[in-house]
Amino acid sequence: MTDALRDKIRGFILENYLFTADTKALGMDDSLLGRGIVDSTGMLEIIFFIEEQLGVKVKDEEMIPDNLDSVNRIATFVEARRKAA
Amino acid sequence: MSLVDAFTACAAADPAASALIWNNASWSYGELARARAGVSAALRGAGLARGDRVALLLRNSPQYVAALYGTLGAGGVAVALNALERSEVLARQITHSGSRLVLADPAHIEFEKLSALLAERDVRVIACATPDTTTALAQFTAAFPADDAPPAQCADNEPALLIYTSGTTGRPKAVVLSHGNLESNARAIAAYLDLTAADRAFCVLPFHFSYGNSVLTSHLTVGGALIIEDNLAFPQRSLQRMSNLRATGFAGVPSTFTLLLTRASFGDYDFSALRYATQAGGAMTRVAIARLRQELPRTRMFVMYGQTEATARISYLPPERLDTKLGSVGVPVAGTEIEICDPAGTPLPVGKVGEVRVRGPGIMLGYWEDPAATRDAIRDGWLWTGDLGHKDEEGFLYIDGRSVEMIKVGAFRVSPYEVEEAIALLPGVEEVAVGSVPDEVLGQAVKAVIVLRDGAQVDALAVKAHCRQSLATYKIPKIVEFAAQLPRTMTGKVQRMQLNN
Repeated sequence: MTDALRDKIRGFILENYLFTADTKALGMDDSLLGRGIVDSTGMLEIIFFIEEQLGVKVKDEEMIPDNLDSVNRIATFVEARRKAA
Repeated sequence: MSLVDAFTACAAADPAASALIWNNASWSYGELARARAGVSAALRGAGLARGDRVALLLRNSPQYVAALYGTLGAGGVAVALNALERSEVLARQITHSGSRLVLADPAHIEFEKLSALLAERDVRVIACATPDTTTALAQFTAAFPADDAPPAQCADNEPALLIYTSGTTGRPKAVVLSHGNLESNARAIAAYLDLTAADRAFCVLPFHFSYGNSVLTSHLTVGGALIIEDNLAFPQRSLQRMSNLRATGFAGVPSTFTLLLTRASFGDYDFSALRYATQAGGAMTRVAIARLRQELPRTRMFVMYGQTEATARISYLPPERLDTKLGSVGVPVAGTEIEICDPAGTPLPVGKVGEVRVRGPGIMLGYWEDPAATRDAIRDGWLWTGDLGHKDEEGFLYIDGRSVEMIKVGAFRVSPYEVEEAIALLPGVEEVAVGSVPDEVLGQAVKAVIVLRDGAQVDALAVKAHCRQSLATYKIPKIVEFAAQLPRTMTGKVQRMQLNN
């Protein structure tokens, strides 16, 4: 998994939900919902980000916590989809 | 009869019946009744006197329900706090309500900060954990052992519940609902939805919010069950759960349905048990209503209208009139009257737009310790809603807008003053005005226009980061703009409407 991808995902979440550039504010494995960082509409925005900025289409049935509820999970999911493509 | 009496009667009639289903936990009526009695006993043991306020800081959970009914059953007045708020606002509301006791979840993100603030103010925090495991009930009853004391008997006009609609420093506003308000509105809702003990509703709406509270109380009044869901972040999974658990009802605000319809499809699952769906909390687009009806052809769709100041529900559109009255919010619930008036209180003729005023058993007692605001809202026995509307020749109500400056994000009210107050505290800000912009999912989102002091270096990110410290997430401006001056009227008043584009 590339660090550039993880940094891009973390950067998006930091800027849009934590309003900071301080990378210490979000751990790579922090639960986005559990920590109250994003809510239901925030998760929808993250899906749009993955599709538009990272170029990976998220199928409805792929919208599960295992794929989306932390920076590392999103990165793993995106990598796997890119490889499969 | 109060909500607690109605619930207790259901528990006595069928103690094994499911009351609340939540993740891995399921609480029957008998179990919830014991948990309720346990909270009542603990509060009495902590010195609670009749009419004392008890603040609840708990996420949607069976424990919240036990805490709410336990407070009412002890003769206390519950203060339903919004779990999304930050510690300073919560502390302000707890102080404003005069709560000496708080039932709070130690896992709440603001718990430590809030406890520190409250320790200085002689407020006792009783820890009430909200695990969702199979042992959650056993843990709860161990922490709150029940006794045999019957629920306190309260008069219909005694206060029962406080719901905050604004958290501004100058004027926190709490709607005071009586036992009679809660019970009558719950029964009116149960009547038009034909709710019975066989119903189980899927509820994702927060209980501290009048709509969520009404879904809860209307079902527990008739012996029905509630399936509690925390969020809709994974809509496909929520729909699957709703289908698997054979939900008979579903309650949502427009953004709930948008979330579900955008990334999931009801058509993928079996919803043959889903008898009804309700929608309130602002207007839903005709396209969304049509799509929902197409995906759920056998489900009765109720479009409704209400306000916290009227407990919850004011009107509903009977599903069989949805086609002929599209755009209407329907007719008054049982015992309630609706009039369209000019500012002097003269009823207006059919088709004319005026302010909507309402009379009936659901109208609040008033705003907590705010006689001036109460006199302003309730005049000659009528609640002036602040909404503009008109009626058609058959008496069906249509909402045409708001007469007061309030932003609705999702279905939550956001006072522009509260956001302005928060931003004004940021160094470098000379002036700020807050309005709204249209939002695809939430209906409206908050927008702030800021005039900076000369030489100040503040960017949009810094403004949002600052707001995040003191405001609930949904109140943080989505759009932050900087300007040389604010739009004003000739008399110098800021024109918030000018911001809204």
